[in-house]
Amino acid sequence: MDPDKLTKVYAEFALDVFRQGFLDNQYVQLQQLQDESEPQFVLQTATLFLEDSEKLLNELCGILDDKEVDFEKLVARVRKLTDSSASIGARRVKNVCMDFLNCCEKVSKEGCVDCLKQVREEYLLVKRKLESLFKLEKQILAVGGSLPAWLQ
Amino acid sequence: ASPPASSGLLPLLSPSCGFRCVEPMEEVEKIEEGNNDGTLEGVAAVRVLVVDDSPVDRRMVEGLLKKSGAMFQVTSVDSGKKAMEVLGLSEDKTKSPVVGDQKVDIILTDYCMPEMTGYDLLKAVKIIRLFSKTKSSCVCACVCVQIRCRAIGAEDFIIKPLQTNDVLRLRSYARTGPPSSSPKAGTKRKMTIELMAESGGGGGGSERRRPRLTGLAMA
Repeated sequence: MDPDKLTKVYAEFALDVFRQGFLDNQYVQLQQLQDESEPQFVLQTATLFLEDSEKLLNELCGILDDKEVDFEKLVARVRKLTDSSASIGARRVKNVCMDFLNCCEKVSKEGCVDCLKQVREEYLLVKRKLESLFKLEKQILAVGGSLPAWLQ
Repeated sequence: ASPPASSGLLPLLSPSCGFRCVEPMEEVEKIEEGNNDGTLEGVAAVRVLVVDDSPVDRRMVEGLLKKSGAMFQVTSVDSGKKAMEVLGLSEDKTKSPVVGDQKVDIILTDYCMPEMTGYDLLKAVKIIRLFSKTKSSCVCACVCVQIRCRAIGAEDFIIKPLQTNDVLRLRSYARTGPPSSSPKAGTKRKMTIELMAESGGGGGGSERRRPRLTGLAMA
């Protein structure tokens, strides 16, 4: 495929990802930390986020499966997920995590189970978006194209 | 005149209300003033110990601190316990924290961590260094956290996720104590963040323009 065309597809896709709130300006900050000395910074950090989130989601599931839900444990993990999603710019995940924290405060197991479902859904959505972005980047570079600059 | 470099604590508030504490550790050696053009000649790197059990946040902070060029020398650990080891505090000691002859200028720690919170870590560090440091001022963003942090001499608060202007503040805490309104020449510098470098071969001529991702809203 024509490199310029690919780059255009990428740019449009990225803009759409931002417009829909899957990623926010924090992700742009991440891009700006990538350079010759850290050429894979964004990919590495995003991969860390995806792995860490899977782990946390599984732990959350486990905690909610218990007869006696340990809400303290729950809160600690949701906080971690809130922080890491904020760090990477996964805004929608962060927002549902904040809702989750509210549910924890109300000490409602049902509410929390619902929240976890939402968090998992948003996580899977942003995961797909990130994977698509990286796939497109790879394709562009493979055909000798150049990636657009991420501007604020 | 602003007070000499003191051991202040800068908690970082997480958006979910946890916070980080940053403590400038030791009086730093006399610093030569930098040039007005913002270069860092003759200025020693600030040694930062990052403590965070979240691998994502650790990576982010590392990236941010490293991006500022030669300003920071970063060590990161994933627990308060490991931080104590790095600081040489895991056994009962009343000496200043040193790692061999390497000192740490700032501890940047998350608050919400299992086993040992950031608050616990800083309390431990504070107690051990009880005789060595002066008092520090306190600036807070959240009332509930303020009281706790005042008790251990909080300096300032930074909300997660860390941003580039927070990085500048960190540096000023290590050098001259709390940032003053009229900084010395060379201690305050504008940090320019370069946009991601154009990657890939791109054999085309210089006339070919890259498409720009415009219209991205600021978070």
